Amino acid sequence: MTAPAIAPDAIAYDDVTVRRAGNAIVDRVTLKIAQGSFVALTGASGAGKTTLLRLVNRMVRADAGRVRVFGEDVADADPPELRRGIGYASQGVGLFPHWTVAENIAAVPWLLRHAPRRRAARVAELLDLVELPRDFGDRFPRQLSGGQASRVGLARALAAEPRLLLLDEPFGALDPETRVSLADKISELHDLAHLTTLMVTHDLADALTRVQRVIVCDAGRIVADGTPASLVASTHPAVVALIAAPLDQADKLAALRHPELVR
Amino acid sequence: MLPDRLAAHLGVSAAAIALAIVVAVPLVMLLVARPALRGWVLAGAAVIQTVPALALLALFYPLLLVIGEVTQRVAGFGIPALGLLPSLLALALYALLPLLRGGVDGLASVPPETLDAADGIGMTRRQRLIQVELPLAAPIVMGGLRVAAVWTIGAATLATTVGQKSLGDLIFAGLQIEDWSLVVTGCLAAAFLAIIVDMALWRIETGLGERAWGKCLLGLGLLVVLVVGVTGWYWSKRAPVAEGERPVVIGAKSFSEQYILAELIAARLRAQGVPVTIRSGLGSVIAFRALAAGDIDIYVDYTGTLWDSALGNKMPAPRGVMLATLTAELPKRHKVEIAASLGFENAYALAMKRADADRLGIETLADLATAAPRLRMATDTEFQSRLEWRALQAGYGLKFARLTSYTPTLMVRALQSGEADVITAFSSDGRIAADDLKLLADPRGALPAYDAVLLIGPRRPELKARLAGLAGKIPVEAMREANWQVDRDTDKRTVQQAAAWLEARAK
Repeated sequence: MTAPAIAPDAIAYDDVTVRRAGNAIVDRVTLKIAQGSFVALTGASGAGKTTLLRLVNRMVRADAGRVRVFGEDVADADPPELRRGIGYASQGVGLFPHWTVAENIAAVPWLLRHAPRRRAARVAELLDLVELPRDFGDRFPRQLSGGQASRVGLARALAAEPRLLLLDEPFGALDPETRVSLADKISELHDLAHLTTLMVTHDLADALTRVQRVIVCDAGRIVADGTPASLVASTHPAVVALIAAPLDQADKLAALRHPELVR
Repeated sequence: MLPDRLAAHLGVSAAAIALAIVVAVPLVMLLVARPALRGWVLAGAAVIQTVPALALLALFYPLLLVIGEVTQRVAGFGIPALGLLPSLLALALYALLPLLRGGVDGLASVPPETLDAADGIGMTRRQRLIQVELPLAAPIVMGGLRVAAVWTIGAATLATTVGQKSLGDLIFAGLQIEDWSLVVTGCLAAAFLAIIVDMALWRIETGLGERAWGKCLLGLGLLVVLVVGVTGWYWSKRAPVAEGERPVVIGAKSFSEQYILAELIAARLRAQGVPVTIRSGLGSVIAFRALAAGDIDIYVDYTGTLWDSALGNKMPAPRGVMLATLTAELPKRHKVEIAASLGFENAYALAMKRADADRLGIETLADLATAAPRLRMATDTEFQSRLEWRALQAGYGLKFARLTSYTPTLMVRALQSGEADVITAFSSDGRIAADDLKLLADPRGALPAYDAVLLIGPRRPELKARLAGLAGKIPVEAMREANWQVDRDTDKRTVQQAAAWLEARAK
């Protein structure tokens, strides 16, 4: 037994199953993510990684088992309230096209009825944090580049100072240079804001050098879980395939074998 | 005539669109929640759209009559089957498709990642709908609304045929008496309304898109001022009707003779201190049903028409038998009474240009039968479904090279321009003498008699005594002349002037 004084895990999956049309897309997963950790959730497409992420803010409901966030069962929470407390940057960013950048960033504070002045101050702070000029606040999303939009999405997710940040494929369709700078920015904000960050990504290259823990899913189950370096030892075909996957393969292997060199 | 028609037109259009919106909003919500239903409901709305508006309006009349009968029996009250109600329902149904399409397509156009973000940051369903879905769907939703509004304002001109006052009154009357200024006035007024309303809605649409609430309010204000102002002005101008004294409603089908006779009856009743209103432009079958149902109180119909449409006889009978049977049967079957026989006949006949007939040696329908395979026949729109046509087939076996149907006015034009050789004609038509047409004789007596009779509905039996003086007072020559006064192109008289002229001869 652990001592009761120890802080609960940021996220705890307890024997969780999600079924779609009779198939288990998340299959009896038990998993704990400690507070303050930076975790990448990866796997081939259809492996169930996004579903695992979306269980946390109840965008998906578990058919069996429990998901706890900071010790609270999400099934007992009011979904909008739960979600306002968790930073979420979705696949494709999903900025509201009819709202300005400032309004997009201030969306959650607005939902939480923060005062206009407090919201404006927070928007300015976040624009600085994601390194966008302050006058971008008046722009509309259509006037942003892909990288800029991703940064605004990140700022929106952090606006209400959540303790937990969920990122679903944050690098989407960005060009390599932008990916690197965004990954650095995420990593920096993770440390700065004392966040627990769970990030879904299908591409290990950007994550490996920055995260502390990589979880590999396959067919709804977890097939590998450990430090980036430990993955090399895995003999599971899904992990092997992932490591052997396309794109600058040599770099990846180098990063896996000698993370200290890349860092 | 224009201001009150404009007000009534705007009123019925606005009410129909409002009703359609009230129906469409929950339907759109249902379709968004259950995409499986989408195909069915939209296909249903599309089918309604394929029914011509004119037919849709006409169909609501018998439907409401049946419903009215049921409510009368079950709950003890009837519902009006003529005028506002059928217009409202048919026009609303007609406006439904663009509204549903706009709503469904608009909401479906919101990108899924935007919806996911809205949920993910913790918006409630309601917040998501109001803050994200509606503003993003607005251009397409408003596009649908604009289409619906313009269609409805256009289609409302057809509400005239079910007895609803509208700008169609001007158009139908103008087409009939060939008063093109009347037709153009009606069309322009409808177009003007449509443009103003479309502009106001466009303002709301751009306002919503830009989140410029001032623009939205301006557009909304323009609509409210237009609808409330015009209809309100109209109501305030209406002559107050004494309690319990419903004016006598005089019906008229959509041709000159009917307009003139309605005015003549109106003048006679007014002279006796009876308040009256006229509902003109009614479809032929609708007029009789409206009388039987008490929606109108009096109108002029013809024995041959009634023989077929009211009594359901498929073969004609001799003149005397027809009149006697109708006089006896109509009160029993429909609670409708023949008050008087006016003294003239408006029978169907076939007519040719005199020069053509003489050249081909055609005097009678029997002569025509021989020449018919080389001739083109133009009929009015209802003739080919009438018993006269069957009677002509049975009596003479007419087979034409081509058979086309037109509105009566255009049918005459077709004959004049040489697009048709033979047309249907009415024996009281003023054009017969004026255009030098030859009516072909009917030696076998195939065509039935069409004596004009004054019909009185169940609600105002006292009208029989009030109008008894009209019996036999209108000879066919006088009727032809009165018709010609309004139908001719030069030295045209108004319907009221022709009615006054005829009244002077009917004393």
